[in-house]
Parts: sequence; C-alpha cells; structure tokens
Amino acid sequence: MNRQSIFRFSLVLALFVVIQGTLGLNLHIDGVHPDLLVVLPIVAGVLGGPSRGAYVGFAVGLVADLFLPTPYGLSALTGVLVGFGVGGVTVVLDRSALWLPPVAALLGTAIYEVVFGFVGVILGQGQMLKVNLVLIVLVSSLVNAALALPAMRMVAWALPEASTEGVPTSTGSTKAAW
Amino acid sequence: MVLVLVTITIITLGNNGALGGLVSGFQSLASDVFSPLDGVVSAVTDPIGSFLAGAVHYGSVNQENQRLVNEIGQLNGERDAARDNAEALKQLTALLHLPFVGNLETVPAAVTNYGTSNFSATVTLDVGSARGVQAGMPVVAAGGLVGQVSTTSGGSCVVRLITDGSAVVGVRYGPAPSQLAVLNGEGYGRDLSAQLVPPNTLLNVGEVFTTSGLQGAVFPPGIPVAKVAVAYSGGVSTQETVLVKPIANLESLRYVSVVLWGPAS
Repeated sequence: MNRQSIFRFSLVLALFVVIQGTLGLNLHIDGVHPDLLVVLPIVAGVLGGPSRGAYVGFAVGLVADLFLPTPYGLSALTGVLVGFGVGGVTVVLDRSALWLPPVAALLGTAIYEVVFGFVGVILGQGQMLKVNLVLIVLVSSLVNAALALPAMRMVAWALPEASTEGVPTSTGSTKAAW
Repeated sequence: MVLVLVTITIITLGNNGALGGLVSGFQSLASDVFSPLDGVVSAVTDPIGSFLAGAVHYGSVNQENQRLVNEIGQLNGERDAARDNAEALKQLTALLHLPFVGNLETVPAAVTNYGTSNFSATVTLDVGSARGVQAGMPVVAAGGLVGQVSTTSGGSCVVRLITDGSAVVGVRYGPAPSQLAVLNGEGYGRDLSAQLVPPNTLLNVGEVFTTSGLQGAVFPPGIPVAKVAVAYSGGVSTQETVLVKPIANLESLRYVSVVLWGPAS
C-alpha cells in the first residue's frame, strides 16, 4: 500500500466517520442506528481478498473505537475477523458480479453485529446482552447492503492495487470492474 | 492472525488500564475534532430532512401537483420546526425549575447525539471538561435523573443513561422514604428493574424511587429516578419483582443539566 492509497483511504474513512456521526446517528429506529463503517472492511475484503479485508477492518475498527463507549479494540478485532472472513469466502466467487457487494454487506454486517456483541459479553460487557440484537442486525445489514455499491467504488478508488489473493472468475479484473 | 493478536493485546492493555491515558487522549482529541463538524453538517442536513419528510408524508407525488406538494411539505416542515422549538422551550424552562437539585451547581447542556453505539444507552452533550464537567457527575433533566457522565473531552461529554444495561442506581422508596433498593438498567427504551425489594412489599403504581445518597453513593440524595410500573410477588421468590419507568423522558432528551457533584463533595 503506497502513500497515495493511504491518503485516499484516509479521506474515505473520514467521510464515513462524518456521515456516521451525523446522518447515521440521527437515522434511528427504536434507538437503533445504522453502523456504516462496517461496510468498509466488507467491501475491501470483496475487492482485495482476506488480507486486505483484515487490514482495513483493523484500521477502521481502531478509528471507530475512538467514538464508542465499548472496550477499545473491540471493533478492530471484529473488523479483522469479518474483513478476513468476507475476503476468504468471496475469493472463490466472481468478485466483479454486481450482486456480490450488497449480499456480502448484508451477511457480513449481520455476522459483525453478532460477533461484536458476543465478544463484548466475553469481555465482561454484560449490557450487550440487554439489547435488541435482531433489530440491530436488521437495521445495520439493510442499510449497509444499500450502501455497498457506492462504498465499493470509493474503496476501489482508494485502494486500486490489484489483489494477489485468489483469481476472479470473470474475464475482466476486479479493478477494471470497479 | 497477527492482527487478531494485536487487537487482543490492545483490548487487554485497555482493560488493565495500561493504555488508559493514551486511548482517552485520542478519544478526547477525536471528540473535539468531530463535535464542530457534527454541528455544521446537522445544520445543513436537518432542513433538507424536514423538507423531504414533509413531502414524503403526503404520499404519491406526480408531476402535475409536484409544486403544490412541495409547498405543503415546506409548510409542514416549518410547522414541525415550530413544534420542535416549543418542545425545546418547554424543556429549557423546566430546567430552570429543578427543585431536587437544591443548591448544587449545574451546567446546562444540549444533547448533540443519541448513542454512538447500538450496544449501550448513551447520549453526547455539548459541554465538557472546559466547563468543569468530569466523569462520574450526575446528569438530570425535567422530572429526574438521566444518567452519569462516563467520559469527557474539552467540549463534549458522553453520558451513560440509567437505562443502560450496566447502569446501577441506589434508591430509596416507601412512606418515609426509608426502604433501600437498587435499580438496574435493562437496555435502551426498557423499564429498569428494582432489586432487593422484600416480597409482599406494598408498592403502588406511580410510587417514586429517589436516589439514596448513602455514603459513597454516586448520586446526591433525593433526585427522583423512576416510578413503579409493575410490582408483584411470586410464590417462592426472595424478592418482589418490580419494574420502574424513568421519570425523565430519556427518549426525547434535548436539554439537560450536569450537576457539578462528586461522591467526595
């Protein structure tokens, strides 16, 4: 990852942080709001494979944890696991397919929220059991699925290097498609 | 695998307090940088949201009546804004008359954000350490207790609401009131549960629980917290099952007061 990629990805991340902190927190249903930053490691995993998904999940998680009352590093750990997992699963699929990012975002976000709560409880955050997990999963997953394609374009712009992990099954490269 | 180990190390060090100063410093910096942006973006997006809400509210729109519907939407937005202002005025006026605070010094604050995490019940206020606000201070609104400051930065602070799953409040109830109990938060939007209430205790719906103020308590005495919603005794239970509803309206907070009080004061 070169300096330009780091700079560009920092811009994308800053944009998502601002949108999450303003529009994201104001769009809530029964106290549950979207979790927009989660989409970044997921689309990074789809675009660049498990390693890139994990690195992006780590970076995004550390930034997200600055704004959360939960233990510092919890979002980073969950982001690494989900980014790696999504990258690993989608590496055998046609990563240029239009349906893939929304579906990956839908399922990846759902898994992220469940893992986040589960690991939080293991770390002694008992209040994480006293939430409406179904609603959290629904709201976050649906919003991130809708956001997946534009997020994919932004991450592809920020991290344009071709993936060395896996081989897209389509004739065109992943980079070219996005 | 390396990243997983790094994150687990960070979490472990954070839990042990080894990273406490560093992390809270970065969190404070992030909060200070982000708070002004929040205000600016909200000021731009809120009128757009009101306008769209007004238009959408009136159902299907076709090209012939587009202009008319937009006008109606705009008028509705203005009406909603007027209602909004009236509600804000009501909450601000109520903050001027908080008898339970007594002579304690308070700092008025506006709620800038509801819950940054779906997994905890918190609100963010527009006052911080620059106004004397410190972690642990009680926060009240019209009616009663709202919660407790959990973290502060220069210009903002995060308040953990009494409904948060980790919130615990020592309270008094009864005629004197002399009976002691503990209220536990059960999550955002849910009633609190009362612990240590002996079985067959006569509790009327609407009866008020106030902060106990016992030595070492984290809240000053006499602040109304919640009213009894449900109370019943089971067959072999060692305590009465009591659910209480917060008196302060925690789901539509606009303005609150931070009480400049700590357990040592």
